[in-house]
Amino acid sequence: MLTVRNVSHDPFYNQAFEEYVYQTYLDDDIFLLWQNAPAVVVGSYQNICREVHVEALRQRGIPVVRRISGGGTVYHDLGNVNYTYIVRAGTLDYDAVLSPVIAALNAIGVPARKNRTCDIAIGDLKISGSAQRMTKGRLLHHGTLLFSSDLGVLDQITTHRKNDCFQSRGTQSAICTVTNIREHLASPMTIEEFQDRLLEQMVPPGSPHLTLTAAQEAEVCRLRDEKYRSWEWTWGKTPAFTYEKSGSFHGAPIRVAYQAKRGIVSGAVIDCAAIDGALAAQLLNGARLDPEGFAAICRRLAGDEAEELMDWLM
Amino acid sequence: MEKKINMPKLAPEMESGVLCAWLKEEGDTVAAGEPLFEIETNKVVNQVEATVSGVLKKQLAEEGDTVCVDTAVAVVEAE
Repeated sequence: MLTVRNVSHDPFYNQAFEEYVYQTYLDDDIFLLWQNAPAVVVGSYQNICREVHVEALRQRGIPVVRRISGGGTVYHDLGNVNYTYIVRAGTLDYDAVLSPVIAALNAIGVPARKNRTCDIAIGDLKISGSAQRMTKGRLLHHGTLLFSSDLGVLDQITTHRKNDCFQSRGTQSAICTVTNIREHLASPMTIEEFQDRLLEQMVPPGSPHLTLTAAQEAEVCRLRDEKYRSWEWTWGKTPAFTYEKSGSFHGAPIRVAYQAKRGIVSGAVIDCAAIDGALAAQLLNGARLDPEGFAAICRRLAGDEAEELMDWLM
Repeated sequence: MEKKINMPKLAPEMESGVLCAWLKEEGDTVAAGEPLFEIETNKVVNQVEATVSGVLKKQLAEEGDTVCVDTAVAVVEAE
């Protein structure tokens, strides 16, 4: 077992770092710990607009990052610790990777147990969710560990803002009741102590503790810029969907409908007395599914009411 | 010779998987070991590789389709 040190809190860099390590250290089992500044991280084949309130995130400046594993949407902040566990595996088996992590948590005083297929809980409250990717017989398993996260933001972003106007076949998130590990410790520890002690359990002293060279870091940065920060990866991978929403916009009835395939909009209709429908169709058809681009279109169509119109579009 | 590539059974309890993305188009040449498509089941994304070299002749499922295990997903015309 080896570990590679990563002190970055940049969610785009950290996804690239994990993928780089996965593809570089092919002969060893690997355990990583890392943390993200506030970010929403979605599964490989999820429809971002359906899972989170895109406009609320845009206004708060919280980025959305797509990861390479399956599963649902999670909110990360600096009260959350992420772990990555990479092993050689022929078949999928959550227990094989979860058991050592749960044993390590128990050893440092966290009364954790396995719950459902791939969650870790204290009592019935979830502290950790996980997802996996398998490529050429190597399993990348990663999960969150809620230590002292802002559960209010998590709840707001992932639970109440689910958008039901989408018809699509992407992966949908499960909604669970969660708790922070810090509330359940026999003796208190800081999040730094928690990480040090967990790492010591999983990667015993004497095992390789690596740091990337400057050249390797440059490779990670290239992957971050070319893949994880790209529109093609984050939005272009959205599974095909059709969208339809109707109601009232400034006292006038409104109906919005469009489709998107590979992140490109077609068949757009905005039917509302307050909006120039021909201009809307012209601006939206062929447009990229993209919060900034959509916001600009809304400003042209609705002026001061742009933010409100945005709520009707994604 | 035609060679079918099936939805793999990755765990004893796995019954089906979602074909998430084609990584090759019909008519593309593929080498054995090269990734052909990606599937998702139980929060796992798995890359499925070609078992022979040749040309991807037929995509038997569309992106988003749920496919039962051991059912053909791709047909490769082997070299």
